Amino acid sequence: MKPLAEGGIDLFLPETYDIVWSLVILVVIAAVFYKVVLPRFQKVFDERSARIEGGIAKAEQARKEADEAKRKYEERLSTARVEASKIRDDARAEASHIIADARSRAETDAAQITANAQRSIESQQQQALVSLKGEVGTLATALAGKILGAKLEDGAVQASMIDQMIADMDGDGDGK
Amino acid sequence: MGAWGTLVLAAESGPHLPSVEDFLPPEILFEGTPFAINRIILVRLIATAVLLAVMVVTAYRAKVVPGRWQSAVEWVLEFIRDNIVYQIMGELRGRRYVPMITTLFLTIFVFNLCGVIPGMNIAATATITMPLVFAIWTFCQYWIAGIREKGLGPFLKEELFPAGVPWPIYIILTPIQLLELVLIRPLSLTIRLFANMIAGHLLLATCLAFTQFYIVESADKILALPGCLWLVGGLIFTLFEMFVAALQAYVFAILSTAYINQSYPENE
Repeated sequence: MKPLAEGGIDLFLPETYDIVWSLVILVVIAAVFYKVVLPRFQKVFDERSARIEGGIAKAEQARKEADEAKRKYEERLSTARVEASKIRDDARAEASHIIADARSRAETDAAQITANAQRSIESQQQQALVSLKGEVGTLATALAGKILGAKLEDGAVQASMIDQMIADMDGDGDGK
Repeated sequence: MGAWGTLVLAAESGPHLPSVEDFLPPEILFEGTPFAINRIILVRLIATAVLLAVMVVTAYRAKVVPGRWQSAVEWVLEFIRDNIVYQIMGELRGRRYVPMITTLFLTIFVFNLCGVIPGMNIAATATITMPLVFAIWTFCQYWIAGIREKGLGPFLKEELFPAGVPWPIYIILTPIQLLELVLIRPLSLTIRLFANMIAGHLLLATCLAFTQFYIVESADKILALPGCLWLVGGLIFTLFEMFVAALQAYVFAILSTAYINQSYPENE
């Protein structure tokens, strides 16, 4: 067996074929790494960072859209609120209007009814007065005749007497 | 013939301890031509094929949302890029060198790992040439970077006559600097890696040779006990070699980056 020290210098003397193969191998590996492996990985790295940036941008976009939607929604909500309160006010106004209308109509009706009643009362009173006039005249005439014992035959005297009497009654009524 | 003789001798007289010949195996294909292939070169070719196949397949199947394997590969690539190249050179300067350092790191790592892969059992970087070729690549790169960034004259002046040193010191300093620039840097890179792989193989093979000898070949069963201890040693050194494989790849990559970075002007 060859001791380690003997021929040790051979270890440090490159063989020709060793140089050839070392170079070939290194050139091949370097070529493949430079041309294929590393560019491909670089592409993946770039694509990944682009995707991540794109994702961030997309998220930003989504956030903006959400904000916009929220703003619109709130705007619409406040519009709706205003509209609702306006409708409520309108309704209230209309209701009070209707109530006022109804009241005025009712008042008119009431006044009419009152007036009609008044009128019918008056006419009835008139009628009563007229019939009373007749009856009172007859009764009074009869009574007077009986009292006076005289029979007032003359119609004209009779009429004037009655009128006189009624006028007196009226004058009494007015004086009271 | 020599290898066979060694084997027979080992079986008869003691453990088959590793020797220099492990690193100078006989040629088995195309003997005598510049394309001769021995065991280590075969290991190297297989490691290259595996490395390229794995990386190319991973690269072609890479997706934006990575799977577990892709994440692991990406972690390594990003480690090399961010923690080695960009940390030393900065992103602006370093971008140009990311592919080179990545290639160096992964190749050295995988080649070193061959030392603990059963059946290969020798690092593909365990001849002087492979580390030397890596080192020459670094050497070329830092010379090119210096000449490109500063011009040959100013580059040499800055390297050989560092500013702020009294002139008599240059008598000693300049030759040292020249030696450093031309020989020490590439040779230190080469020998550090090569020697680590040699030592790793010798340690591991020694442990396993003694394990084999004491447990299997020895007739005396009492010797199985030290044999077990040697086996434990083998296990520990296997783990240690995996660590060294990564560490040496890291050291080589980081020193290459640092050397190239030194060729750039201090401030841009």
